[in-house]
Amino acid sequence: MIDVLIGFFLATLITQAFTTRLFRLILWYALNSLFLGLIAFYEGININDDEMKIMGIVTIAVKFFAIPYILKYFFAKFNIPRSIKPITSIQYLVIIIPIILVFTFYLITPLLNNFAHHSNYIAIAISSLMLSLLLMIEHKNIAAKIIGFLDIENSLFLLGISATDGMPMLIEIGIFVDLLMLIVIINILFKHQGEAQ
Amino acid sequence: MISVFIPPVLIFIFSYFKINKYLMAIIATSIIIPVIYIFFHPFHNSLFYVDKLGSFILLISSIVGIGVALAMISVDKRIEIKEKNIKRFYRFFALFWFGLIISILSNNLGLYWIGLELATLSTVYMIKVKATNIANREAWKYLIVGAVAISLILFGIILIYASAKNYLGENAMNFYILAKNTSLINHYMFEIGFLIASIGMFIKMGFFPMNLWLADIERAAIYPIGALFSGILESAIILGFMRLSHIEMDVNYSHLIVFVYIYAIFTLFIVSFLIYRSKDYIRLFSLSGIEHMTLISIFWVSGGYFAALLHFAAHALFKPALFLSGGILEQNKKYIFKGTLKGFKNKFIPLLISLLLLGVISLPPSPMFFSEIYGFKAMIDVSKNSNYFLLMILGVFLILIFLSIIFYKFVNVYQKALYEDGKEGEKKVYKSEILMLLLFTISLTLLLFSFDYIKGIV
Repeated sequence: MIDVLIGFFLATLITQAFTTRLFRLILWYALNSLFLGLIAFYEGININDDEMKIMGIVTIAVKFFAIPYILKYFFAKFNIPRSIKPITSIQYLVIIIPIILVFTFYLITPLLNNFAHHSNYIAIAISSLMLSLLLMIEHKNIAAKIIGFLDIENSLFLLGISATDGMPMLIEIGIFVDLLMLIVIINILFKHQGEAQ
Repeated sequence: MISVFIPPVLIFIFSYFKINKYLMAIIATSIIIPVIYIFFHPFHNSLFYVDKLGSFILLISSIVGIGVALAMISVDKRIEIKEKNIKRFYRFFALFWFGLIISILSNNLGLYWIGLELATLSTVYMIKVKATNIANREAWKYLIVGAVAISLILFGIILIYASAKNYLGENAMNFYILAKNTSLINHYMFEIGFLIASIGMFIKMGFFPMNLWLADIERAAIYPIGALFSGILESAIILGFMRLSHIEMDVNYSHLIVFVYIYAIFTLFIVSFLIYRSKDYIRLFSLSGIEHMTLISIFWVSGGYFAALLHFAAHALFKPALFLSGGILEQNKKYIFKGTLKGFKNKFIPLLISLLLLGVISLPPSPMFFSEIYGFKAMIDVSKNSNYFLLMILGVFLILIFLSIIFYKFVNVYQKALYEDGKEGEKKVYKSEILMLLLFTISLTLLLFSFDYIKGIV
């Protein structure tokens, strides 16, 4: 089951790289977060870890429902342009993305023996980080860059789940708080944009 | 130890009321009492690790915090800032300070990161205090680049945690226990984690390929931002780098040397030419700050701990003093060097700034002169024990060439400021600025008499 979910996680991230509309990008981000939350929840069931199950539910509540809703509200309120055409052409992206995937699997090869059941997930988490960075680089639009950063957070969370069977709960809560603060800061930046002389 | 968090918390609370800048400066100054207590009472538990290194860096960064609070008293006389923006500055300054105290004192990699992230996010609004389109753009830039850097650091931290979790459990997050159990770490995974985390830290310090982002941001923001970056933010980041690189020394020393030397020398190469071309004080100081961070990293990994710490302390005191003097230097005109040290009624202040300007390029008896002497000695010692002696000596020579370019530029700027005619007019220096300059000058003088203590830190 987790293999399927992680496949969908990666697929939603790859789709984001090709998306040219802002609200569609938010939708793909929300789905990406949903699959992440489900991965954490199922992994929590598999290893019988209550903390991870809770983090899975919190991830779905915050990243699937709350953050996409808030972002959509902000982008509509502050009239952020909906068209977000990537500066890299699609024909180049279809070459770059597989290269990233293959490279990360190559990078992780020396570690395969250390992780009996999670080594592929680590490779996917690292490639997700690279794809999120690609998303940030290929867009000039600030809104797409913000989504790219949120994707980086998702990749980090996936790495935390796969490489370490979950980070200590205190740290994960701290990361969530920081993420919410990021949203507040984004709001302040948009809100006071008009004050500039 | 909790009392060290009280001044930032009080500043945060008082920022919601009518601002009394003198009261804020007094509150900021009160941090010195718990900091001195911590300085003489090192301890560690699962969350906090206050050794000599941590307490030393906390002391230096607290002096910078006090200096910034003093300079803030007169900042609205130098730059037009609305009352509500000053309130917001204090609010986010308190969060920034709070976050970085957590980072500096933390014994837990995750807690270290949370503090750093809190500081990064709170800085975004501090950049925007100056209500201009450029400041707005730079605040966005900081949010994006800062967030990417901080994410890379977290990514590295997770890999480092994973590298030792099988043997150490949740203690794999603990700096102290990690350093004591390097033989239990999965070396390959630790090295990937260290590499990614270091790149994140280097980006935050303005290393290649992000050489200009820090200079642009500090130019667009108000003067205290540059001081906070160079005196407090970089202190917390370099402390993390020092602790992690100490573990990497046990894991694979030659990889560490190759990685840091190549990265730092390449950064220094670019920065030296950017300094040569810089046309205003803030960019000059900002780029010079990057140069210092490269030297601190090189000295540290070369085993020149005394040199690295002395250079760090001198940098953390010189740079904020110079950034905060930016308001004095750039009054009546902007972005030029000519005649900026002329036209003062009181000759003491230009003399003090001149000493800082020349001290920062290691002119004796500046503490930086001694740190560079000892630092280069450490580098040559490493070269002698290396299989690649000629290559490493070539690296040392390259660094000397780049430093000489920077030295030339600073001397040239000093001569222009002192001897060439600009639009002098009447130049004012406020009492709070004099106090701030005296604080940093006295601290730097005390640093000259603290060599024995610094030698005993590591």
